[in-house]
Amino acid sequence: MASVKLAQINLHDSHEFNTSSPMTQSPPASLEDKVPYPLLKNKGPHSGTGPADESELIARLAKGDDRAFRQVIAQHHSLMLSIARAIVGDTFADDVVQEAWVCVYNNVANFEQRSSLKTWLVTIVSNQAKTRLRKESRQVSLDQLDGEVSGSYLDGVHFKTDGHWQQAVPQWSVESPDALLEEQQLQSCINRTLTLLPPAQKAAFILRDIEQQSFEDICHILAVSAANVRVLVHRARLTLMQVIDRYQETGSC
Amino acid sequence: MLNCKQVATLASDYLDNNTSLRWQIRLHLLMCANCRRFIRHLQITRDVGARMAINEPGADAEAVWNKVQTRIKKEAQPDQE
Repeated sequence: MASVKLAQINLHDSHEFNTSSPMTQSPPASLEDKVPYPLLKNKGPHSGTGPADESELIARLAKGDDRAFRQVIAQHHSLMLSIARAIVGDTFADDVVQEAWVCVYNNVANFEQRSSLKTWLVTIVSNQAKTRLRKESRQVSLDQLDGEVSGSYLDGVHFKTDGHWQQAVPQWSVESPDALLEEQQLQSCINRTLTLLPPAQKAAFILRDIEQQSFEDICHILAVSAANVRVLVHRARLTLMQVIDRYQETGSC
Repeated sequence: MLNCKQVATLASDYLDNNTSLRWQIRLHLLMCANCRRFIRHLQITRDVGARMAINEPGADAEAVWNKVQTRIKKEAQPDQE
């Protein structure tokens, strides 16, 4: 189904949005220049920080340059922690990420740069976390997957027994993403909400909507089924949508 | 015929082109202003999220690096410098 690209939909009275398939390997070109997150898009060695910068950084890492390691840790530690938390849970995540850094230290000299540094780091932390999960041999992670978050759009309160909306879906006075992104307070509301998301949802959301990874890659990274990745991403989006609902209604969160 | 709750549940799959129920959803959307608004808002949310600058409290690179170095030394064999 991933390969079926359907006609552009138009849900809108006045707005059109980019609905091109996110299942394609590379994100639409228009996304390239509008994402402020500094670690983005360097899926291959020839984008992001630039091949020269990255090669130089990797060369310094290979020599055991302390400053290069601190720089890479500062840039990527949060992402790696999010992934580790999603797979093994809070208890082991810190430890797993440290193991991953040791592994990076020991192996960076052999890193051939067939992927970006970030992709390589994500793969390492994902593998370390999966190994640890097997070692601990209990289900410590992804338990959020089954729990329905109360207050969520899908918890039933919003719908009548026949499945129709209980109340009208609230109107938004601001529907332009550009305008919404300029609202400082909304930004901090969303940021705070993101940090409070259950770990699996947070990692799935970051990898999908921010890092623009394919669903297939996210399945491998987080070791969950495609269906579960989609559920996780959907729930995260619904939570953020409610933040915007509230912001539109009250001007705060 | 899908109801609103089903459409809301499938909304991300619809936006991401991940559902085989696409035409059933479109049919519902033709007739339901609430669900049209819901999906439109979800799409805006996705766009906003994709372009958010994430401000996580940055990792304390210094502290992490110190811990990592301790581990590296612990793991190193005596015959390796």
